Amino acid sequence: MVQADATKAKLGKGSARDATLKLKSPAEFFAENKNIAGFDNPGKSLYTTVRELVENALDSSESIAELPVIEVTIEEISRSAFNALIGLVDRERVDAALYDDFESDKAKEKRLAKEARDQLKQAKALAAGKKVKEAIASKIGKGRGDTSFFKVTCKDNGKGMPHDDIPNMLGRVLSGTKYGLKQTRGKFGLGAKMALIWSKMSTGLPIDIWSATKNQNFISFCRLDINIHKNIPNIHIHEKRSNTEGWRGAELQVTIEGNWTTYRSKIISYMRQMAIITPYAQFLFRYIGPTPDKNMTIRFARRTLVMPPIPEETKYHPSAVDLLLVKRLIADTTKQDLFHFLQHEFISINKSYADRLIGEMGPEFSPKMPVKSLSDEQIVRIHQLFRQAKFDDPTGDCLSPAGEYNLRLGIMKELRPDMVATYEGSAQVFEGHPFIVESGVSLGGKDVKPGINIFRFANRIPLLFEQGGDVVTRTAMKRINWGNYKINQAQDKIGVFVSIVSTKIPFKGTGKEYIGDDISEIAAAVKSALQNCCIQLKSKIVRQQQARERLQRKRNLSKYIPDVSRAIYEVLELMVSGHKSKRQRYGVEYQEMLDKVAGREVTEATIKQKLTQHVQQVDSEMALEFATQSGMADAVRDTIYLRTLDSKRTFAPDLHNSVCVLRLFSGL
Amino acid sequence: MVDKRKAVVEDDDDEEELRTGQGAKKQAQAALGFRKKLKSDAVILASVKKFSETAKDVRQETRTLADLNLPHACKEVVDLNTSSVVLEIERSILSIAKSILAGNGFGYSVPARSSVNQLYVPELDRIVLKDKASFRQFANISSVRKTAITTRILQLVHQLCTKQIHVTKRDLFYTDVKLFQEQGQSDTILDDVSCMLGCTRSSLNVVASEKGVVVGRLIFIEDGDRIDCTKMGVGGKAIPPNIDKVQGMESDALFILLVEKDAAFMRLAEDRFYNRFPCVIITAKGQPDVATRLFLKRMKTDLKLPVLGLVDSDPYGLKILSVYMSGSKNMSYDSSNLTTPDIKWLGVRPSDLDKYKIPEQCRLPMTDQDMKTGKDMLEEDFIKKDKNWYKELELMVKTKEKAEIQALSSFGFQYLSEVYLPLKLQERDWI
Repeated sequence: MVQADATKAKLGKGSARDATLKLKSPAEFFAENKNIAGFDNPGKSLYTTVRELVENALDSSESIAELPVIEVTIEEISRSAFNALIGLVDRERVDAALYDDFESDKAKEKRLAKEARDQLKQAKALAAGKKVKEAIASKIGKGRGDTSFFKVTCKDNGKGMPHDDIPNMLGRVLSGTKYGLKQTRGKFGLGAKMALIWSKMSTGLPIDIWSATKNQNFISFCRLDINIHKNIPNIHIHEKRSNTEGWRGAELQVTIEGNWTTYRSKIISYMRQMAIITPYAQFLFRYIGPTPDKNMTIRFARRTLVMPPIPEETKYHPSAVDLLLVKRLIADTTKQDLFHFLQHEFISINKSYADRLIGEMGPEFSPKMPVKSLSDEQIVRIHQLFRQAKFDDPTGDCLSPAGEYNLRLGIMKELRPDMVATYEGSAQVFEGHPFIVESGVSLGGKDVKPGINIFRFANRIPLLFEQGGDVVTRTAMKRINWGNYKINQAQDKIGVFVSIVSTKIPFKGTGKEYIGDDISEIAAAVKSALQNCCIQLKSKIVRQQQARERLQRKRNLSKYIPDVSRAIYEVLELMVSGHKSKRQRYGVEYQEMLDKVAGREVTEATIKQKLTQHVQQVDSEMALEFATQSGMADAVRDTIYLRTLDSKRTFAPDLHNSVCVLRLFSGL
Repeated sequence: MVDKRKAVVEDDDDEEELRTGQGAKKQAQAALGFRKKLKSDAVILASVKKFSETAKDVRQETRTLADLNLPHACKEVVDLNTSSVVLEIERSILSIAKSILAGNGFGYSVPARSSVNQLYVPELDRIVLKDKASFRQFANISSVRKTAITTRILQLVHQLCTKQIHVTKRDLFYTDVKLFQEQGQSDTILDDVSCMLGCTRSSLNVVASEKGVVVGRLIFIEDGDRIDCTKMGVGGKAIPPNIDKVQGMESDALFILLVEKDAAFMRLAEDRFYNRFPCVIITAKGQPDVATRLFLKRMKTDLKLPVLGLVDSDPYGLKILSVYMSGSKNMSYDSSNLTTPDIKWLGVRPSDLDKYKIPEQCRLPMTDQDMKTGKDMLEEDFIKKDKNWYKELELMVKTKEKAEIQALSSFGFQYLSEVYLPLKLQERDWI
């Protein structure tokens, strides 16, 4: 009893400490370390904001098994418009030298002189008839001045948020206290909250939320920001508006500092790659620039109606837990005794195994002992045993890969390659977490650069940064011998797509942007998946090459006929130019031919003609062989149309033969 | 680990000494020490003369493939006179013309020259070609090009032989650049043709451009002109690409010195080494060409002189010696005419590095490629057959050090001709 009390006290103290940590850490921690959540600089912040909103929207739609329809709008706001927005008077610069981009007289002189020189050079080049590149616009006002403000809006058709929960869902950063384990898109479980913190840090403007759940006759509108220190939502407006159209979904609007110029390509390729891995979603991406000519709209159409299932929540595998996690699981469990705790809170432990484990733990353990009364030392013992004992691998049932079908459609939809092969590997395990590797390899396509183009996905979101160290890049570049599969690594337009899903992706680096190359299980799985794709492609490529060869064979063979005929005839001619008696030495069998050469009956043209005939004959033989080998698949196909029969038709007498009966219309 | 560190420390010491000038002094002392060991030229000469005479006495027993009764049938070529070559070509052209006119297309049966078809024969100490052949058909997309080039080369060689003129491989290539595309292609086919016809490449009247040079106590007649190789200045006489035109070799030399490199050759020629110790110095400036190998073979058989090889102490130097001695894989069909067995390895041998105290900074670490070549060579019959050679190569691979002939220049530019070689001769230090 005494001991139990002591433990309780200890636990109580621990949880109290936890609470203070929880209250203080999440919002402030991420505000201070925004780079690890992908908010390193304004440009990347814009990118990360977009992706967090898009991924949230996708999750929301998928959670109710609705095909996602997502609209993203980025509206650029100039500094003066921004100032107007927040009610700040736009002030003229008085002391010009105070600013970073101030140009001193000397610098100006220098710049003008340089511009004059450049102009002169251009004029000369023009005079010489050379093509002149557009003069690079001189960069004035770089540095922080280049960033501006953006209103990012993301609208989805997901399940929406209950009216009363909105402030807490968005305005409070909770540490990952998720119970159980699940394949999730988010990297930190922060989602839109980090965007909210960033907006608070950069513009100070609150975010707007419109939301409606199913069959709800109003739209919740909420405008709020976050109190970072207290980690509580700061509500400006929270009201119900009319929902006449029966809209369901959520729309978030956040105003942040960002940089469109430097991250435009990243944002667009993010959207494109998202469209590849999520072909069942429809995306509309809009950018509204300061001037109308910079506007752009990209629509990524839906290509399939098949959605991967929602990933299931699963329990931890004994080999995947650490000491802290064991303690947390014990604190949270509803099971009373150790036996049931082991059996129910972990996968790969059944009744008999739980018994055996408890037996192995030592004499002070018993199946019926209350799990909450375990001492720290005893928990350490359990954890040690988890590390040492052998358990069945977790199954991949809880995972939700994109699926070969979807991956293939996504690739075809966005890249329009000449060839594509896909492969889905079986579930494998790394440190107690199951993972599945899917891959695709494409050849050719629009906007694909020659060489290897890598597209990486982790838990069905694209990874765009830190490609160099990634396991996929390393494998594709170093460990796949493309030549073996008749693929030219330098010249062919190769698209390499690898999607890894897992309950825990072993990311490397602070930004969680790549998967390390040091995990042999994953590296081997990626390699074999890619190789499987390549094997599929190889047969296609070989067939294509054969077909091409077949077309060119005759031409390539005929190309050498003149050279050969001339060479042969010249020797023959030289041979007969001498005295006739000399020809005797070649033997009787050539006598007739040499006489014919001498008598101009056989000339260069004769040889040429005979060779051409031979080449033709060989070619048709080969073509026939090719056709019999490859079957009728490559034969020319004609569309034929069948007419429905009606009673008005009359038929001529049937024509019988051994194969079929032909019945022809009469009187036509 | 400890040993390694120790070695590094020692290295550092050496360098330190050299930098301070003390090392240089030490080195000079070493050089002087070796110089002192030298006896008078007359003594050395007497010793070399004895060696030379014993070499002359050894009855040259030239065994041929036919004597051996090998289990494999082998392909060898012989020197043919031009009229026989013409006849051979005409026969092949006639047979293919007949085949074409009969509507059957044509092709050539070409002996395979890939490494699987090569065989090292220890009794002959050279590589020979086995008799595997492939049939190259015109009406086949993979062989049409080679067949066409073969036909064209046959015609060109026919023309050359009828007119009795010689051209270089480059000339041959330029007669039909459009068809041949690059010289490598016409060169390869030329070798195929000589293999096919069963004659040496020189019988085809196609020669390689001059590459090798010779200097020293040698007099021969080239196309009627008397050439005295002692009066060829520093550059030496270019080895004639056409060995047929070389006749009447005379010499009072005691040995032939085969040098791997141009630089060492120049040093010896300028120092008139051949006047101090009567010899013929020959080099092919790296990998030997056919003409140099033919010339060396001719000298060896005509003059019955021993051949001493001076090559770099690296796997590449040994490779060059092996080409002189047992032939290259590319020309294995003609190995009987091209190889000069029994070349003595004078230097620079791996064991010389320590023996002659060649300073550390002149030794180079072997690259991975070197190591691989070295280890591969240890497996080769050519090295295995001689215990001493094997030991030397083993030492090289073990120490992972290599050195060029020029490393000897660290004792002074003329060290090679004035100390190293005389000392080697005096001690008859070759294997």
